Amino acid sequence: LCLAVSCHAIGLNELMERASQRSDKLHSLSSSLTNDLDSHFPPMGRAMMPRPNMCHTSSLQTPMDKEEALSVSENDLISLARSLLLAWNDPLSLLSSEATTLPHPSKSIISSKIQELQDYSKSLGEGLDVLVNKMGPSSQNISLMPFRGAELGQDKTSRLINFHFLMSCFRRDSHKIDNFLKVLRCRAAKMRPEMC
Amino acid sequence: ILSVVAKGARQTPPGKPKVTSCRSPEKETFTCWWEVGSDGGLPTTYSLFYRKENSETLYECPDYKTAGNNTCFFNKNDTSIWVNYNITVVATNALGSNTSDPFDVDVAYIVKPHPPEKLTVAVLEDKDYPFLRVLWEPPRKADTRSGWITLIYEIRVKLEDAEEWEVHPAGQQKMFNIFSLHSGGFYMVQVRCKPDHGFWSEWSTTRSVKVPDYIHRNRSVWLL
Repeated sequence: LCLAVSCHAIGLNELMERASQRSDKLHSLSSSLTNDLDSHFPPMGRAMMPRPNMCHTSSLQTPMDKEEALSVSENDLISLARSLLLAWNDPLSLLSSEATTLPHPSKSIISSKIQELQDYSKSLGEGLDVLVNKMGPSSQNISLMPFRGAELGQDKTSRLINFHFLMSCFRRDSHKIDNFLKVLRCRAAKMRPEMC
Repeated sequence: ILSVVAKGARQTPPGKPKVTSCRSPEKETFTCWWEVGSDGGLPTTYSLFYRKENSETLYECPDYKTAGNNTCFFNKNDTSIWVNYNITVVATNALGSNTSDPFDVDVAYIVKPHPPEKLTVAVLEDKDYPFLRVLWEPPRKADTRSGWITLIYEIRVKLEDAEEWEVHPAGQQKMFNIFSLHSGGFYMVQVRCKPDHGFWSEWSTTRSVKVPDYIHRNRSVWLL
């Protein structure tokens, strides 16, 4: 959090730089969590895991290759990043509360990484709010994607599989967020092309 | 002898192929590799099929040639990111066919760039002490300018006869200076790159450079 006065002193370049550092960390953490979960996964888990298009964020239309991504305006790219991030507030809370009792040998590591994810996600969200305030009203659109899963399931296997599934959805979304913000960072830094 | 001949002559349907890996050098195209099983003693053909997430359409590999034997190359038009590809390879001969286990891949997680290019190493002087200035460029195909891909670099240096390389992280910079050189030493330098989330490239071609005999030159008075 920063005071309004000091925030105005920070340029768009610098804000983009900070945001992409956080999104980078967010995605690295989610990859590392996926690896932790993989170390102990029910044998039938892969087959039973829902398909990626079952992710609660899959309805959001996002670019699917470089050409599409580069043709999206700054305002729309930041809207996509913010919409995705916001859509993960509730599921991350669920993961956080479930992690402490997850039937997994690394549950304490998993639990502390989820906590870290929430912290980064919150701080990135605040950073993006500051950014859109600078960018103007047309960057402030948000698409809402409600999360309807209130729990992961009753038995051990379905809890593990649903936990894993949610993390794999988050891993993809955090990669998108990071990629969109890094494209924005390079657009903001066009006066200093050596940065990209 | 009879059994060897009989065994050699026995013809079977092909063995099960295996998709071994897929890699994308720049998040815009990708290639998948497979290993073949036995050909069953007969001419055998291999076909790769894939389904993309959200679609029931079964596609066949668009290009078996570009990346060599037992590969499939997906060009820009056939490559999406943040979409799962479900891939199988089918081996077929006159007696039957055999299908690999399915292989799931999202281009976001298989990025391994080509090595950096245009590596140069120059000996520069700094208050009489020479240092090495190492410069390079990202691999040509990686679009780092737009931010679509972000690369970090690592350089490694060693004296010609040394056993071990000395590794230095360079972050996103495309330049690195190396100080504290051995007078008269012959140095070898390489650089490699890694996407922000992905795999290290191979090391680049080596550049070698000879450091002048600066101790001899500066300390000659002392030595005398």
